[in-house]
Order: sequence, then C-alpha cells, then structure tokens
Amino acid sequence: MAVKTFRGGAHPPEKKDRSSGIAIEWLRDVKQVVIPVNQHFGAPLQPLVKVGDYVKRGQKIADADGRMTVPVHASISGIVKKIEPRTQSNNTDGLCIIIDAAPAPIPEGGEVPAASAATAAQNDFMPPLDAFACTKEEALMRVRAAGVVGMGGAGFPTHVKLAPPKPISLVIANGAECEPWLTIDERTMMERPADVVEGVAITMKIVNAPSGVIAVEDNKAYVLPALEKALAESPRTGRGGMDIKIQLLRTKYPQGGEKMLITALTGKEVPSGGLPMDVGCVVQNIGTLCALVDAFRDGKPLIERGLTISGGACKKPANVVAPIGTPVSDIIAAGLSEADDEALRRVIYGGPMMGVAVPNYAIPIQKNTSGVLLLNEEESAFEEEETCIRCGRCMRACACRLSPVLLAIAIEDGNYKEADKIGLLDCIECGTCSFVCPARRQLVQRFRVGKQVLRAIKQKEAQNAR
Amino acid sequence: MPGKGMLLSSSPHAFTPVRTPQLMLSVIIALVPAAGYGVYLYGLHALALILVTVASAILSEYVFRKLIKAKTTISDFSAVVTGLLLALVLPPATPLWMGALGAAFAIIVAKEFFGGLGANPFNPALIGRAFLLMSFPAAITTWSLPNGLQALDATSAATPLGMIKQGTAIADVAAYFGADGAGGLYRQLFMGYRSGSLGESSILLILIGGLFLLAMGVIQWIVPVAMIGSTMLFSLLLGMDPILAVLSGGVVFGAFFMATDYATRPLTRAGQALYGVGIGLITVVIRKFGGFPEGVTYAILIMNMIVPYLNKIRGKKYGYVKPLVPAKSAKPAKEAAK
Repeated sequence: MAVKTFRGGAHPPEKKDRSSGIAIEWLRDVKQVVIPVNQHFGAPLQPLVKVGDYVKRGQKIADADGRMTVPVHASISGIVKKIEPRTQSNNTDGLCIIIDAAPAPIPEGGEVPAASAATAAQNDFMPPLDAFACTKEEALMRVRAAGVVGMGGAGFPTHVKLAPPKPISLVIANGAECEPWLTIDERTMMERPADVVEGVAITMKIVNAPSGVIAVEDNKAYVLPALEKALAESPRTGRGGMDIKIQLLRTKYPQGGEKMLITALTGKEVPSGGLPMDVGCVVQNIGTLCALVDAFRDGKPLIERGLTISGGACKKPANVVAPIGTPVSDIIAAGLSEADDEALRRVIYGGPMMGVAVPNYAIPIQKNTSGVLLLNEEESAFEEEETCIRCGRCMRACACRLSPVLLAIAIEDGNYKEADKIGLLDCIECGTCSFVCPARRQLVQRFRVGKQVLRAIKQKEAQNAR
Repeated sequence: MPGKGMLLSSSPHAFTPVRTPQLMLSVIIALVPAAGYGVYLYGLHALALILVTVASAILSEYVFRKLIKAKTTISDFSAVVTGLLLALVLPPATPLWMGALGAAFAIIVAKEFFGGLGANPFNPALIGRAFLLMSFPAAITTWSLPNGLQALDATSAATPLGMIKQGTAIADVAAYFGADGAGGLYRQLFMGYRSGSLGESSILLILIGGLFLLAMGVIQWIVPVAMIGSTMLFSLLLGMDPILAVLSGGVVFGAFFMATDYATRPLTRAGQALYGVGIGLITVVIRKFGGFPEGVTYAILIMNMIVPYLNKIRGKKYGYVKPLVPAKSAKPAKEAAK
C-alpha cells in the first residue's frame, strides 16, 4: 500500500507508547456528573430540567430550536442537584447541570423492582433504528436526537455535517490521531473495528457517498489487521456492497486536521473559507462513528466517550470510556488511572498541540475531550520568547503554506491589512509554527488573537459599508 | 482540588528541542574544515586573525549591549559566527587590529544598531569586510601565497580572479600557480592551493561544510543553487569561463555561508530563488565591468537591500489552488457554519 501524506507539518515526539498497548476500560459507576449545557459548535441551549428533578440515563436535559444546535443528555440516572456555571474543559465558565447518582424514586405504594430490572428501567434510550431502511430525514433526526457532535475537538453538529448541500464522493474515517500522547482512537479501531466500519457505512448511506476510506497513520499500523478483518466480515461490504478501503498515512502532525487529511488522501485542497464538502468529502472522527452506531443500533445517545489519560505525571496511563460530565479526578479515584500529584505541573484537556491548559483535573470530560494529559516539570517547560532569527522553519512547517514569521510581524505592527493578505483567517491554529520555532516565538498564539481582531475589523467595515 | 498551582498557557504545549544556539553552533562546526585549512595554508598569523576577529565580535556585542542596558546575547553564538565569517573572507595577512576593528564595526554598526540578532538588513560580516576594504584598500587587497607554517609572506601575490581581470590567459594563470593547463587549474582551485581569502581556498572543504548544513536542515538548497547556477550562466553569457568563475573567488563560500544568512535572505521560496539569481548576476557584472576583480561581497549586500520586497513574492496558500471557488458557492457553506 502506498503511504500518503501532505506537504509541510512537523514531527512532535509521539509519546504514544505509554498508552497504546493498554485496552479500554469502562467506568460506569459514577457518583456525580457535571454536564456542560453547551458542548457543540453553534447556538446555545436551554436546560430542560430543574433542580430536584429525577433524570434517567439517556434522558434529554438541554436543547434549543435552530439548525446549529445539538441536545445534551443525562449520562447517569439520578437527581439534578444544581444548575450553575462551572469551569469547563476550555478553561472558561459555562452553565452545567450537576446530577447526583440515585436510584429511581419508588412510586407511592409501588414495589421495589429487582436489581437487574431497575438498571434497565433507568435507561431512557430511543428505540433502535435501521439506518439502511429509514429515510434520510429520519436518519438525520436520529443523529440530532442522539446528541452526536464531532468528537475530535471542534464539536461540530454531526447532523449538519451529514446534510451537505453538495454531493459527497468520499467519506473519510479520521484515524490519523496525530496529537502526541493520545491513543483512544487507535484503541477504538483495535477494539471496536466492526463499529468503525459500520459507522463509515452509515455515514455513506446518509450522505449517499459512493466510497469510504479509513485513514490511519503508520505509527499505529498494528490496527490494520483488525480493521481488515472487520471490513471483510461486514455485511455492508463485499461483492456488490459498499466500497470502503483502508489507507495508511505517513505519520506527521497535523494530519488529523480535516484539510490536511483530505489533501493527503485525495490531493485536493479545501478552498479557503470552505468546508470539506466543497471538495466532496465528509470527515468523521473515530469516536463519532461509534457514537453513530450506538445511536442507530441501540438508540443510545452520546452520553459516554473514550479518552486517553497519560503524561509524565500520570503513573497509570489509561484508555477509558466514561460518562460525559465525569470529573477526571473521579476516574482516577475509581482506580482506572493514577496521578503523580508531586510531579504534576500542568494539566491539559486535549492533546499537547491544540489542547487547553486548565487549573486542575477535577474538570469534567465532555463530548469533545479526547484525552487528558498530566504533565511533569520537564514536559511543562515554558521557555521565554527570544528574538526571531528568521530561520524560516515556520514557513516550511506551515501546512496551510501561510508565512507565519511574516504574519507575526504584520500583527505586531498592527498591519491587519497585510495580515489578511498573508492569510491570517486561513490559519487552522494547529500550532506547528510555534512547535518548530527555535526562538520559542509565540506565533499561533498571536494568530489566535489576531484572527479575532481581524474578524472584528471586517465586521465593522461591513457595517460601515451598509 | 486535584492539581494546584498548575501552569497555564496557550497551546501548543510541546516544543522542538532545536534552539537558536544549536543552529549557530552548526554553522561554526561547518566552518571548521575551511578555517582549519586556512590556518594550515597561512600559518599562525591566520589562526591569530581568526581568534582576534571572533574575540572582538563577542566583546563588541557584550559591551554594546551592556551600554544600552539590553540583555546579554553572546550565548546565542551569533557573534562568534559573524566574527568567524569575517575572518574567513579577509586576506590572510590582514593586520590583527584591522580584523578586530572590522568585527567591531560589523557587530555594532551592522547588527546592533538595527536591533541585534535577526533585525539587521545587511549581512554583518560582509559589512565588516566592505568597511575594511573601503578604509584600507591596500591591506585588504594584499594577497599572500600559501606558505605553510612559516612566516607569512605579505608581499603581494596575484589571485586568480585578479589575474583574469587584468586579461591574463587561463594557461598563464595556471602556470602562475604551478598547475597544468585549465584542467589542472580547476583541480587545484577545487582542492585549494592558491592565493585568496583565508577561508575561501578549498572549494572541497567549503562544500563539505555547506553540505553538512544542508543535511542538518540548517540551511536550504534554493539560495546556494540559484546563486552558483546564475553565476555560471551569466559568466558564460558574458564570455567568461563559467567553471573558473565558480571555483575562483568567493562564490561557493558566499553561496553556502553568506547568502544563506537567516536575517538577510528572503524567507519565501520564490524570493530566495530570485535573491540567489540576483547575487550571481551582480557578481558577474561587477567582475566583468566593475573596478574590482571580485564582486560577491557587494552583490550580496545589494541584494540584501531588496529582501523586504522579495518577501512579498509568496507561493500559493493552501486552499487557493485552482479552481478557486466562486464567491457564490462559498457563501452557503459559511452560513451553514453559523
């Protein structure tokens, strides 16, 4: 198999070996969850429950009208204890619904049900739905009702992604997982390969795409036999069935970015300001594909997700599936992982390249938390910014072929017209430029702020033009 | 609270181990063969010239930054690189005080006045050389024949380029250096037995250093290839021997060590290509029509001037490759994203 890749990028130390051989463990027994009301990219939601309500696992607890909204569900059964702002994984405060685990209240005069029956009765799932027999509208409604969003980081509403106004020729399963440390996608491909294939098939059915591809970086090629076996055994593929392939990619950051992944696989470039559908592609995260299968086959909404817990200050690296809203400290307290609090200097929600540094690890996981890193002193080194020597490493590493050094100079000069011309708004904020800088220039950091400033300037200009 | 006093910062949270001093050290290492050979050819005075020039560069930077109450930067080794580069492009018999003065001028005027590392528009080592050439034209054009470790013979020897400038036939140039015809002269220039600047004798050793920097990813191929290629091309077009044009004088040294200077070369690929071609063209024009036999120093300094404009020649950004989406079809996508 020819190994494909894209132009530019960098090779941050992979560090995946600490957790790549460790099987996923499931955490079900959680005492409390803190569920952020807004976990998607789009319009804000309203809580549908109030303090004191009893909610069942899988019950919708927040929703809103509008296309760019995705409901949120209770991830455990229990009583709503509080609804208040809490620190979220992006290190900002947001409204959260806090649920304490509790058995279902016994109706007056009723009998205490048997333990097994009680567990089943506590789930509030939807009836199964055959994605291959229902209409496209029914399928999209199911995807939204199940609260599925892109689980790779952005939290883009999946039902919107699956209803593109343009024809789709290729569905891509994003198994690149290019962030260092993180291994949850590779473990999922290893342990749930049939669901990954089924998820691709469901996506292809909904967007009516003729082909699909599961793209895997070659540092985790060990998952290929499992995927190949699942492909061969899938009822969707085979003679006259769906065309799904596996493609190896040469490991390089940021290959898991939609745009880079599409270019690596097809050679096409997503036009500036456009979306993958503009080149006929839909890209799905591995976790999202499994969430789709759960939503159709089991009627189960997105109330759990897998994540990697790792880092130099993590004594027991782990791949864990836990209810959405579980504080990482509770995953550790349950013994699934172990923190070295003495050595701990930095907590990252997400990967080291694009993740967010947060003040503690009591923050709950949410739909887009792919990993939590507990880093030690050595891994947390934050060095002072030095003078730019104009070595041009950022120019060669930028996968968007922007000119980071020139862009930074334009922003420092306050010359946003020039920054716009260089392509500030095309920056995907992958952080490769800052990673490769020998002078530790804070390049992507400037671009993040600069993009906001430039957007504000453009908005103002548009208003003045009216 | 699990986790206290955590460090917060914006991503990324991982960084390359490659730092500025390492890049500068690589350049110094790459210069060792050429410098060592210069010492072998020209003896202890050459060694003293290198040491004094480097020391002056370091001291100038240290003192200047102390005076303006700025952070000391000598530990980034960039002053060492500047001093070393300057020594290697001076005639081996240059008086030591002159080398020291040139280095001080290079560091203080050409580098620190403009803001220090990375901010200087002109190559500091070449400014140092140009300053000395203008101030002491006789001393900086007095060449010596390689003399081993004996006392340096400062009585003026001819350089290959100087002889060609005067209209000497290649066969006679070859005879002067004891080589057998044009082929013998090429071989001798490539190996490095000839008069010339301290570090520019052996093309072979300069190439070894240059290829080391290329292999380490410290420099990129575009500038050297464009500069050497265009020197050969324009020499040929103006009726000069293209091979001799590259082997004699400072073209190869300039291409790998001067024109690739980070702060003073363009950053974009297209800009770098034009920059290299421009240096080659100006070098040949100076050699053919100018008053000096050699033109690499001024060619690079002249091209330094237009680097900000060359940086405006940028390649296609991601997502702008044809076919461009018409604005109409891009709109619904944006609305969908809202």
